[in-house]
Amino acid sequence: MHPGDQRFEAPERGYDREIAARLTGVAKSLGSTPVLGGFDLDVRAGEVTALLGPNGAGKTTAVSLLTGRLAPDAGTATLFGLDPRGAAARTRLGVMLQAAGLPDVLTVAEMVTLQSGYYRHPRPLAQTLALAGLADLAERRCGALSGGEARRVHYALAICGRPDLLVLDEPTAAMDRVSARALWATVREAADTGAAVLLTSHDLMEADALADRVVVMDAGVVVADATPAALRARAGGSVIRCRTHTAPGAARAMPSVHNASAEGAELSVVASDGAATVRALLLADPDLSALRVADATLEDAIALLLDRADRRITA
Amino acid sequence: MTAHALPNGIWRREAVAEVRRSLRLPQFLAPTVLTPAAFYGLFTLAVAKSPSPAFAAATLAGYGVFAAAGPALFGFGAGVAMEREQGLIELKRVSPMPAGAYLAAKLAASLVATGLALVLIYALAVVAGVRLPAATWLALAAWHLASCVPFALIGFGFGMRMSGKGAVAVANALFLGCSVLGGLWIPSAVLPGWMQALGEVVPSYHLGQIARALVGADTIGSRAGHVLAVLAMTVMAGWWARSGWQRSPA
Repeated sequence: MHPGDQRFEAPERGYDREIAARLTGVAKSLGSTPVLGGFDLDVRAGEVTALLGPNGAGKTTAVSLLTGRLAPDAGTATLFGLDPRGAAARTRLGVMLQAAGLPDVLTVAEMVTLQSGYYRHPRPLAQTLALAGLADLAERRCGALSGGEARRVHYALAICGRPDLLVLDEPTAAMDRVSARALWATVREAADTGAAVLLTSHDLMEADALADRVVVMDAGVVVADATPAALRARAGGSVIRCRTHTAPGAARAMPSVHNASAEGAELSVVASDGAATVRALLLADPDLSALRVADATLEDAIALLLDRADRRITA
Repeated sequence: MTAHALPNGIWRREAVAEVRRSLRLPQFLAPTVLTPAAFYGLFTLAVAKSPSPAFAAATLAGYGVFAAAGPALFGFGAGVAMEREQGLIELKRVSPMPAGAYLAAKLAASLVATGLALVLIYALAVVAGVRLPAATWLALAAWHLASCVPFALIGFGFGMRMSGKGAVAVANALFLGCSVLGGLWIPSAVLPGWMQALGEVVPSYHLGQIARALVGADTIGSRAGHVLAVLAMTVMAGWWARSGWQRSPA
């Protein structure tokens, strides 16, 4: 083999290169409440996977199992092929938790330096601070940070060790849009350079902008696992809203309609062929008014999906 | 498994950060450092007018254990519970830091606080005329510092199980209760029988008796028995601390 070809060789980690973290057939109850039942999830290298679902769907529990904070009742959780509860498995993991605090009296630089010391090949401090937008706050004590600044410190703690798996739980909650967009760019770059990223978010715009893959969960099971584009396509492409006396049931029977719902006289229809559906709606009720047609968003797609959680789709 | 190996120096860096943190919180450090000296100065040296050096040395043995129990019970019990509420432990748990490094770092901070408190009460004892061979001073200091360990483990156990407020209350109750029952303020020999009996189940009694033996004061019971009791209590406290860490998901 030509020596120059070596850079094309796979890195030494081999077997776990593709799957960074995996939950297989996991069941978990918290107290007597079942949260996950037969839950499967793969988080793959080089991809941003967004885990979405309503409150109580089990997102946090799934993340807790992957990061070693909880043990599954049944099934297996692995991190790079190891038990996530061992410190060794976590040497390649960076986590940004939603509810974590910071020690008030340590400075940002001290905290990031301490965390960097947990990893074998950490980024230089200045690089971590720059990536997290903290260069000017290095000497600030953590207790004097704003909410958004503290989130950026948590992001710095997550990325300082060049983790192969980055878990971000609601990363940009409490951040302004400028900070959030800067963070998205660095997350994207981490995935593009081979890291696996698992993201939970309530911000579907964030998921749409960042994710290569969206896993929608509801009541402890996966209801969709697809690209954002495939999910939007599944939602039909168009959302039509109007004031009409046509009932949702009648609208659902129209061609290309995936779903319909009404609030008072306001009808919302999700359809794959917007024009055909509008014609059908006008035919059924020539007096309809306040007609608006918009592209379906990821939010529409997920709302539709959760309405019909019995239909599992993949793409 | 080199890919999963932890770097060297994690324990040391964690300890340095924790000591630095506790030194920056004088409002927590000062009471645990100053209280033993204040009590020792007031009850032994001032109240007893001109105490004999032997009396001052015998009471010093008990106050040293008192000086160790404070930082350990408050730093671990109340401190751990508050850090848990603030989500600081959560942060450590998802990091590659081994749990032992966290425990060791907190112990280091407790030892620093205890060391400062010991310097003050030893200085008062010297002023009161206590003269001991250098080896005895060293053995006493080592024993007093080691007295942190069982209290730290007990504190860690309830710190992982209770709210911050609850843990502060329990730390206070244990701190004062163990000191009285253990004969750290008033020697066990002059306590009522029922208090002596209760004292048998608190580590401070056994720790204090061994400290008294070290300075040549009169003791109750055999030294070996006290050492065994301390070891047994430390093992039980260790189990209590470990199960506390494991049971708490947050």
